[in-house]
Amino acid sequence: MFTQIRVCSAYPFVIFGFSVPLSGVPQEEKEMKRDHQDAGGGGRGDWYAVAEQEKGKASMGTDDGVDELLAALGYKVRSSDMADVAQKLEQLEMAMESSAAANDDVLFAHPAFDSVHYNPSDISAWVDNILSELNAPPPLPQQPPPPPAASLRHQFDLSPAGTEQYSIGTVDHYSPADVYELKPQSSTASLRDRKRLKVCSAFPSSSTPTDVAAQQVVVVDSQEAGIRLVHALMACAEAVQKDNLKAAGAIVKQISVLAASQGGAMRKVAGYFAEALAHRIYRPQSPRGVSCSSTHESTAFDDMLHQHFYESCPYLKFGHFTANQAILEAFAGCRRVHVVDFGMRQGLQWPALLQALALRPGGPPSFRLTGIGPPQPDNSDSLQEVGWKLAQLAETIRVDFRYRGFVATSLADLEPYLLLGAETDGRGVEDDEPEVVAVNSVFELHRLLARSGALEKVLGTILAVRPRIVTVVEQEANHNGRTFLDRFTEALHYYSTMFDSLEGSTSPPSSPEARRHGQAMSEMYLGRQIYNVVACEGAERTERHEALAQWRARMCRAGFESVPIGSNAFKQASMLLALFDGGEGFRVEENDGCLSLGWHTRPLIATSAWRAAGDPLRTSASS
Amino acid sequence: MMMLLLPHREEEEEGGAAGRRRFPINDNADLLAEVLGRLDGRSLAVAGCVCRLWSAVGRREAVWEAVCHRHVAVGRAGAAGGTRSVVAALGGYRRLYRLCIGPALDRLAGVRRQGPAVSSSSSAARHVSLSLALSLFSIDCYERLGGVGGRQQQPPASLLFLCKPVDVS
Repeated sequence: MFTQIRVCSAYPFVIFGFSVPLSGVPQEEKEMKRDHQDAGGGGRGDWYAVAEQEKGKASMGTDDGVDELLAALGYKVRSSDMADVAQKLEQLEMAMESSAAANDDVLFAHPAFDSVHYNPSDISAWVDNILSELNAPPPLPQQPPPPPAASLRHQFDLSPAGTEQYSIGTVDHYSPADVYELKPQSSTASLRDRKRLKVCSAFPSSSTPTDVAAQQVVVVDSQEAGIRLVHALMACAEAVQKDNLKAAGAIVKQISVLAASQGGAMRKVAGYFAEALAHRIYRPQSPRGVSCSSTHESTAFDDMLHQHFYESCPYLKFGHFTANQAILEAFAGCRRVHVVDFGMRQGLQWPALLQALALRPGGPPSFRLTGIGPPQPDNSDSLQEVGWKLAQLAETIRVDFRYRGFVATSLADLEPYLLLGAETDGRGVEDDEPEVVAVNSVFELHRLLARSGALEKVLGTILAVRPRIVTVVEQEANHNGRTFLDRFTEALHYYSTMFDSLEGSTSPPSSPEARRHGQAMSEMYLGRQIYNVVACEGAERTERHEALAQWRARMCRAGFESVPIGSNAFKQASMLLALFDGGEGFRVEENDGCLSLGWHTRPLIATSAWRAAGDPLRTSASS
Repeated sequence: MMMLLLPHREEEEEGGAAGRRRFPINDNADLLAEVLGRLDGRSLAVAGCVCRLWSAVGRREAVWEAVCHRHVAVGRAGAAGGTRSVVAALGGYRRLYRLCIGPALDRLAGVRRQGPAVSSSSSAARHVSLSLALSLFSIDCYERLGGVGGRQQQPPASLLFLCKPVDVS
């Protein structure tokens, strides 16, 4: 099934539910039945009789006989009907098997799956529906499946940005030939996989053996649960927006149950979002210290997470390499260069630039680096250490290197004279050579949007320094929308794709500990961003990502013009991605002079280059 | 003792020789270096296990330099001398091959083995460029530098992504 997903779109859990509406249900029930027989000491003939017994024990005091556990998943089945439903499902499966034996290719393209289902949560009626159609396939009106009966949103209205990717919900549903382009072998294999997935998924509470057995019966379809999970998340966000915290709290609990039935990326994403929502709903007046504010005693931990994120996935490397290439091209022919880095951290971007400058035709220039970082609470001077390491490296490759570090709580505190600062080396000959400046910002500018006026001030400072080039690497997503629901929806899509890419680009479970560790750290790094977007507000919400188009508008308003990033950077980025395991999913795209890296069809990170508009000194070999 | 057999020449036949002139390769280390420089990385490493002389010759920077240049696409014919000194400063060609070029080539070969499912648009990127390899190498070298007090924080892992086993299922 997953091959199908990749072809259709970037969101497997969402798409799958819509494009194969409940088709998995009968298969799953049958397999559950087999499992139950195996697990429950086989040889018992009547599964539904057993189920009825279990149901009888487990569903004491359900309201009007509707099975409680199934109701948690959105299905309304009366306990008394359970035996009946199970019998019909068996019939359905036998009918499908016979039709499958006849014609393998149309197993899933069977008209039964195109029929209009009203109220799919009513399993018994749904099964009746399908059975009657199997016996007499009618011509079918093509309409989107109506919403589930639960009180969740009617249509999963996917975010406005890039709706062509998310067309599954409405348009793609009706072309079974396109959607189900998988071979029958792979479909059965994947069903078996899903069964395995189901059987070993952990359940939050399984106190008594009867409960466990009953729960095995309950787990119906992981894809269906995936849909419900997303619906639940959206419903919770909507409730939070309307300030209906009681309802939101109830839904949050449901989310954890649903999330447990998922596997892989979806579970982790749902977990992080659920936690953030829970904090938003239940937090005390003073926000919890877990990374709501960036200047926090865990900056060392932050750096460690950042380091693992750098190592495990290509996003930061992509940003660094493309920015370096743009800077290298801008510095062509200059003898004195100065780079200002707005987010120094461990300085991992600069060794590659130093090496490239050392090897450029004509020899290396005099290189000066100004690094800016947040204050360190434990008095350790990490900025100076980084500078020292870079100086060591520069010395070995014989590049004249000078370094200065600035500690600043916010970039808005910087003044131009600090950055330009006169050199006190006493080398008089330097006055002849003008110093060419480049400003580099990786994931730093969006934080300034938390305070009004801060970004304008920083852009003004940059202009005052008169840089030859300004490189900006930012997330390609709009997490700064006006309403909470907009931000939530956008963030859900974005981080789902990010987590998918983390899953997709690592090797099978036999990976060594270090790699799993790296992946876990990267996920935690992203989890902190999720927490900030969802649970924080006002000045604390620093992860105010904006899309490339918005940054373009801001930069142009501030007096910058775009410098196209050349094809060298594109080629180098493509080569870099080819080296990543699973690099098939990554896409480098050129977007009007800016490069973006995405996972399948969704761009995630964008690098852009700028210079002051109307600068007479433009000598860089662009376009 | 490794021997190269040369076609015998009647007029140079020494008295007592059976008619064939033997040329032990181990007598001429430079020739050996030339030969070894034409191998690929894995074979060269294996050749280093043959005997002490081969091990010593197989570690020569010039040999590994030849191997690297043979397997890597050099974008522009940059100043070869400059490259040599920078690479030597960063750790040498042998290390460059072992850490960056070798794993990268393995990774790309593994991807190629996965068949024609590779999209044509990215096929142009299916090779390693020297500049990319050097960038990665410089980052790794930087990570290995100790801090101010010489303390080593964590083992450098920026090249870990290259060393993952390739999933060729």
